[in-house]
Amino acid sequence: MNRLLARLRRTTTEVGRVWRKIRGWRRIRFTSGGLVFTLGTVAVGFAAMNTGNNLLHLLVGSMLGFMTVSGWLSEQVIRSLAITRRAPRAVMVGQDMRIRYEVRNRKRYLPTLAVELIEEGLSEPAFLHHVPPGQEVRAQSVNGFVRRGIHPLGTLTLSTAFPFGLFRKERDIRLPGEIIVRPRTDRAIPVTAPAGGRTAVGGPSAGGGRGVRGEYRGLRSYRAGDDPKDIHWRSSARLREPVVREYQAEAAETCWICLDARGEPDDRAEIAVEIAAALAARAVVEQRPFGLIAPGVHIEPESGPAQLDRVLDALALVDFSPGAPPPAPAVDPGRCTLVTTTNGGAGFGATIPVPADAVWEGP
Amino acid sequence: MGLTGLVAFSGGAGFEPLSTILVGVALITALFRHPGPETALKLDRIWLPLATLLVVRALVHVFVIRDDVVIPVVHLLFLLMAVEALRPLDAVNDIRLYALSFALVLASTAYRPGVLFLVAFIGYVGVGTMALMVGHVRRAAEAHGVREVALGRRLVGTTLALSVVTLTVAGALFLALPRVSRGFAGRGETAATSIVGFSDEVSIGQHGSRIVGNPQIVLRVEFPDSQPSNLQGLHWRGRSYDRFDGIRWTRSRDLPPSSAPASWYQERWDGRVIAQRIYGAALDTRVLFSLHPTLRIESENGIQPLFDNAGDFVYWGAGAPAYRSISREGSPPPDRLRAASDGFRPSRRHYLQLPDLDPRVAALADSLTAGWTSRYDKTTAIQSWLRGLTYTLDLPATAREATLAHFLFERKAGHCEYFSTAMVVLLRAAGIEARNVNGFLGGEWSAFGNYLAVTQNQAHSWVEVWFPRIGWVTFDPTPTGGSGERLASWYWPGRFLFDGLQHRWNKWVLDYDADSQLGIIQRWAEFLEPVAETGPTDEPDGRSGPWAAWLMVLAAAAALWGAIRILRERDSIPTHTKLYLALRRTGMSAGLEIGPGTTPAGLVSRVVERTPAAGVDASRLVALYTAARFGRRPLDPTDIEEMRSALRRIGQALRNVRSAG
Repeated sequence: MNRLLARLRRTTTEVGRVWRKIRGWRRIRFTSGGLVFTLGTVAVGFAAMNTGNNLLHLLVGSMLGFMTVSGWLSEQVIRSLAITRRAPRAVMVGQDMRIRYEVRNRKRYLPTLAVELIEEGLSEPAFLHHVPPGQEVRAQSVNGFVRRGIHPLGTLTLSTAFPFGLFRKERDIRLPGEIIVRPRTDRAIPVTAPAGGRTAVGGPSAGGGRGVRGEYRGLRSYRAGDDPKDIHWRSSARLREPVVREYQAEAAETCWICLDARGEPDDRAEIAVEIAAALAARAVVEQRPFGLIAPGVHIEPESGPAQLDRVLDALALVDFSPGAPPPAPAVDPGRCTLVTTTNGGAGFGATIPVPADAVWEGP
Repeated sequence: MGLTGLVAFSGGAGFEPLSTILVGVALITALFRHPGPETALKLDRIWLPLATLLVVRALVHVFVIRDDVVIPVVHLLFLLMAVEALRPLDAVNDIRLYALSFALVLASTAYRPGVLFLVAFIGYVGVGTMALMVGHVRRAAEAHGVREVALGRRLVGTTLALSVVTLTVAGALFLALPRVSRGFAGRGETAATSIVGFSDEVSIGQHGSRIVGNPQIVLRVEFPDSQPSNLQGLHWRGRSYDRFDGIRWTRSRDLPPSSAPASWYQERWDGRVIAQRIYGAALDTRVLFSLHPTLRIESENGIQPLFDNAGDFVYWGAGAPAYRSISREGSPPPDRLRAASDGFRPSRRHYLQLPDLDPRVAALADSLTAGWTSRYDKTTAIQSWLRGLTYTLDLPATAREATLAHFLFERKAGHCEYFSTAMVVLLRAAGIEARNVNGFLGGEWSAFGNYLAVTQNQAHSWVEVWFPRIGWVTFDPTPTGGSGERLASWYWPGRFLFDGLQHRWNKWVLDYDADSQLGIIQRWAEFLEPVAETGPTDEPDGRSGPWAAWLMVLAAAAALWGAIRILRERDSIPTHTKLYLALRRTGMSAGLEIGPGTTPAGLVSRVVERTPAAGVDASRLVALYTAARFGRRPLDPTDIEEMRSALRRIGQALRNVRSAG
């Protein structure tokens, strides 16, 4: 029985896969005008068959001709396009995310007109109103995210109702990718002094600013977000990949951010993540090295925007759950600032609890 | 679109001066100068009461008068179209204008429009294609905040090409759509009113003026097999008249069944058989014209031919008749006619009937036939004498001068009806059965369309004389000068061209039916039929077997080209993406939860969760894919091969786990 069910499930999956493939190739939907037009064609066709009036046959022929032209032209409009998507690697919650498209019309004679580029899961499409044959134009869509995490970019749909607005033809293009949606860093946080007696002001903080260099430690591979000025060109040429200089920051100034992920994945969890992000951003402003400790995450302290990117990427993926392990930093807890939604926090240098009645306002 | 719709309707239902001019002015005004919102507001105050009145009028026509509702509805459409044209252009307004103009084109199909409809229809498709296309692009651009839409001049060329495609498809579908109904719904052409010549009742009493010409074409005749030798001498017989009251010719209601059915002529006349395909205009009397003697008439557009007691062909059905007629050419030779004396004679009460006549008429008949014994000689004697008189289109000045006696003895000039009437009366006075026949004489040969065009100007009247054992034989006493073209019908040389178009329009569009479809299919079947072995011959076979083969080769090549294009499009996916997608498919086949939203990293996680042994390969494959796809790192053949190997190992590992489970 189980084997039969398994086979049935596999068959259903396979049928679904084939169906998705077929639908993904081309889809046609009626617009409201197209529905009226089609019903009108059926009515005139019925009248033509019923009366034998040849002019009605001619009229039906022309209406079907319009439909044929519409189908053929809409097909031409969405085919032979070379599309390059320029999406940011990461974006912050609440900020505009612009995806840019470079679209080259590879057709020799026909232009592409009135095509929408729709990303799966995003509400706002990009619009191409005219791509002359053989030329390239750029378009962009602007969307925003309300929740951190990873947004997969999978299917780009080319959609057009050209030429007459009667039918909407769609074609899917597989362009796998992802966008990391990072938490906000502008949440107001209390002044904490986990180590070294440093203070910080509450309120919004901005990323940016150069990290503290400290002593030269060595070379490492280039990571996204590293300052290009740190690239060691001679070594990069020798190793045939970009490498950057790494500096040892002063231990006394290191800010360890420890995120307690125990609790429900609710609004308070988001607030906790945003507080951790704000702490990281503040460290950048204060030019201090900082690291992150969270379940499954241990980011060694470094400074600068590249480190902020790493920390924010990690925070974007942190999952809260009541069964998550308690925070257990590999370093002295006294040097850590704990952000928690629970009542724990003994032994940590500083603790920022999220109040029980805190409400996440969203972006 | 509104203007083309208006022209289509005017070309179909006729030109109604006031309403058509008003709406035409409104549409042309809207074309050049668009009224502002204030004018539109003022118009709103006027058109609503007017529209209400027109709706009430249409309802009255339907429920009270029970009259034709099309014209009131069309007037309402005119009003709405004028109002919409004078409003500010916006998206909704555009659609309303398209719909109204389409309704107008639709309304015109209820009539039997001329070739002008075709011109307007082509214009409508062309303008409609451009309007719909530009309108859609503008609306879509506005919706996405694009203000300036530069479509360029090439769009005009594109529109023209699309219109041609639309019309081609329309034409092909028009030919292919099955005609399952005979279609009696057409409202028919406006009946042509005879000014001279043919009608159901003929009078020689007209006086006081001159006969006015009417160049309207009433018959278009094709000769599918062979063309008659003397086109100008062809008598297109319509209706015969047996009763004359001194002024008018009428048809008796108590005529006995035809004295000479078609089969009679089939057996007894030996002239060449002439086939005619005749496209007639809808006249005020439903008569089928044909060359005498007619052996057979077959309908070609759903009319029902009937053979009446006088031996005339009439029909049931609406609209203009299209039919095929088979006739014998010419008359029996004089010797045979001269020998025809004994045998059956038709109703003397009808065909020897005479009104009270001037005694001089009978005396004239006696004097003309005194020296002759045979019917034929007597007939030709009378005919010869009448041909010595003068033909004129001037009518007698007074009613007294319009009599037959005045024509024969004083005026000695008249038109064809005087001559035919005089001959019938003289023959009857001489005891020979005869009758007056109306129809058309000759015609104009249109080289453009290869058909004979017969106009109202060629309306004619002649005589049929009974010959025992032979039947009714045609005689024409009208002098030669009057037997030909007497009124200028082709004063406009371009009419040849126009009428050729009109004829093709009637033949291939308005009268296209299941038989025409069958004919096309048969011709294609003959075209595609392989050459049959019929024995040795030196003459080349006229059929086009090799062309058919070439046509099929071309069709196959076109299909192959299309398939290659589709395959090429699929092949445009880079190899690294194909391999990544193959990894997804492999995972899905192994039962991993992989959905549309699964990221490359997520895909690796799923694989590792199932079998950690495949983790390295999955990571490497995905790393190479992301480096090439998003990092723009070019992959060399070694990388691709590494990806392939990794994919194979992952597949094997997943299968191992599955079989172990």
